[in-house]
Amino acid sequence: MTPTKTAPQNDLPEVYIDDILMTLKYFTDEHEVHLKIIDPQVCMNCESKPCVQFCPVGAYRTQDGGTVQIAFQSCVECGTCRVLCPNSNISWKLPRGGYGVAYKFG
Amino acid sequence: MSTKEKLTFDVIVVGAGLAGSAAAAIAARNGLSVAMIERGQTPGSKNYFGGALYTHSLLEIYPDLWDRKPPLERPVTESGFWFLSKDGMVRATVQGGKMQNDPIDAYVALRAKFDAWWAEQAKKEGVFIIPKTVVVDFIREDEKVVGVITDRPDGEIYAPVVIICEGVNNLLTQKLGLAKHDLKAHASALAVKQLISMPAETINARFGLPSNEHGLAASVMGDVSMGLPGLGFLYTGVDSVSVGVGVTLEALTKAGIKPYELLQRYLNHPMIAPMIAGGRLMEYGAHIIPEGGWTTMPKLYTDGALVAGDAASMVNALHWEGTNMAIMAGKAAGETAVEAHQKRDFSAKSLSAYRARLDKTFVMTDLHQYRNLSHFLKSRPDFMNTYPAFLNDALGMFFSGFGKPKKQLYKDILRSLTDRRPLVKAAGDMIAFGRTIMGF
Repeated sequence: MTPTKTAPQNDLPEVYIDDILMTLKYFTDEHEVHLKIIDPQVCMNCESKPCVQFCPVGAYRTQDGGTVQIAFQSCVECGTCRVLCPNSNISWKLPRGGYGVAYKFG
Repeated sequence: MSTKEKLTFDVIVVGAGLAGSAAAAIAARNGLSVAMIERGQTPGSKNYFGGALYTHSLLEIYPDLWDRKPPLERPVTESGFWFLSKDGMVRATVQGGKMQNDPIDAYVALRAKFDAWWAEQAKKEGVFIIPKTVVVDFIREDEKVVGVITDRPDGEIYAPVVIICEGVNNLLTQKLGLAKHDLKAHASALAVKQLISMPAETINARFGLPSNEHGLAASVMGDVSMGLPGLGFLYTGVDSVSVGVGVTLEALTKAGIKPYELLQRYLNHPMIAPMIAGGRLMEYGAHIIPEGGWTTMPKLYTDGALVAGDAASMVNALHWEGTNMAIMAGKAAGETAVEAHQKRDFSAKSLSAYRARLDKTFVMTDLHQYRNLSHFLKSRPDFMNTYPAFLNDALGMFFSGFGKPKKQLYKDILRSLTDRRPLVKAAGDMIAFGRTIMGF
């Protein structure tokens, strides 16, 4: 789904972030999730859901019914969501040692 | 805790980035046993920047740097600003002259490769590297830090001094109370970048570089950030170009834009697109830059611990400095750890020598001088759109006004400024800019 754009100028190109993420290498932790929504109800009540916009890998997506789901596998551990979630509703940890994004070039 | 002997070192360094490997190398070189704990698969795998490294700081740790064959890309022989309007560009770059200093002052680098090598040099000094390990907390005795708890089973490691080089997400620094709060949205920038591969000859031809031994570093202002407080950049590697844009977290979320769309908009710009046409995307990434510098700097020491690098907000956003500050701070932290061991005193008072060391370097003087920069960029948005656009108009008119009376031309040029911003306000902006960078 394409959220409405509220940009100062509405001339942003549409980007399929999943194609870009193909260039990234990850070691996915199958046993532990490092990013979690603390209270799903809070997200349902959150009108703006800015996480859907600001996450640089588009890991936050809204679901039917207004909940937010995190594709933690594509997280690059930047920290933006922890700082910007208006409800501080994200439990943000580093992935366990060795897991997560592994930049090949950097 | 088992009855096993405690795993103990003289120094623990958290994070094998630029600051960490510098601190660890200095401490080990002076005879201390050093454990450097890195959360990535290998040092460098979590690290990301524009960007260029500064030769002076690398030589500070390894005077024989060049014999060690550092994996650097191109030397920066041309550097400057590109001012983008919606469909044009004014370039103000410098080449030749001081850009040919021996050695060249800055080198383009890719951090995954470079930081792995940087850590390898520390290992040669005797540092014990523990990769794939996250430090989750500290071991404290009587309020003093005496070690760290990692995410490994029985993962306690002891040392009388811990040097925290954990990077921008300084949760450990916060845990110790050295940072009083989490990152501030107005003082942190999210930078996103694409690494685009192109043949070296193509890069040479498109950027006017005589050979692979020449490189360009451009700071890009104006249309690139859509008027938001932020900057774009472009760096030439040997056979790749790093192109990215960073804006403050606050502006990003207020504008409600997607960072990767802002980046794509920049890559699509009519002046930028031909430079990278035909290139292949090698890697995308994102990282926060702690641009608050002085204003968001945590306390740098406590009983048994020191903080250096991005974790300590050591960034000068205007001059793109940060990597060199991290290395200088790492060195000062390493030296302080050595001195503390000589005195057998790891108290905050003893470790305050770290701050005193840094105060004598450009790190603290510059960060203090530029302390108002974040606020300035936020409060004077005209620097992000009005002036770059005016500059394009003014020069465009100057060089196309043939056959017109020149008096009228100058009036037109002046009007293209005053239509956007009254002269008094523009003068006020310039004075404010001067005051900000001079640190008044």
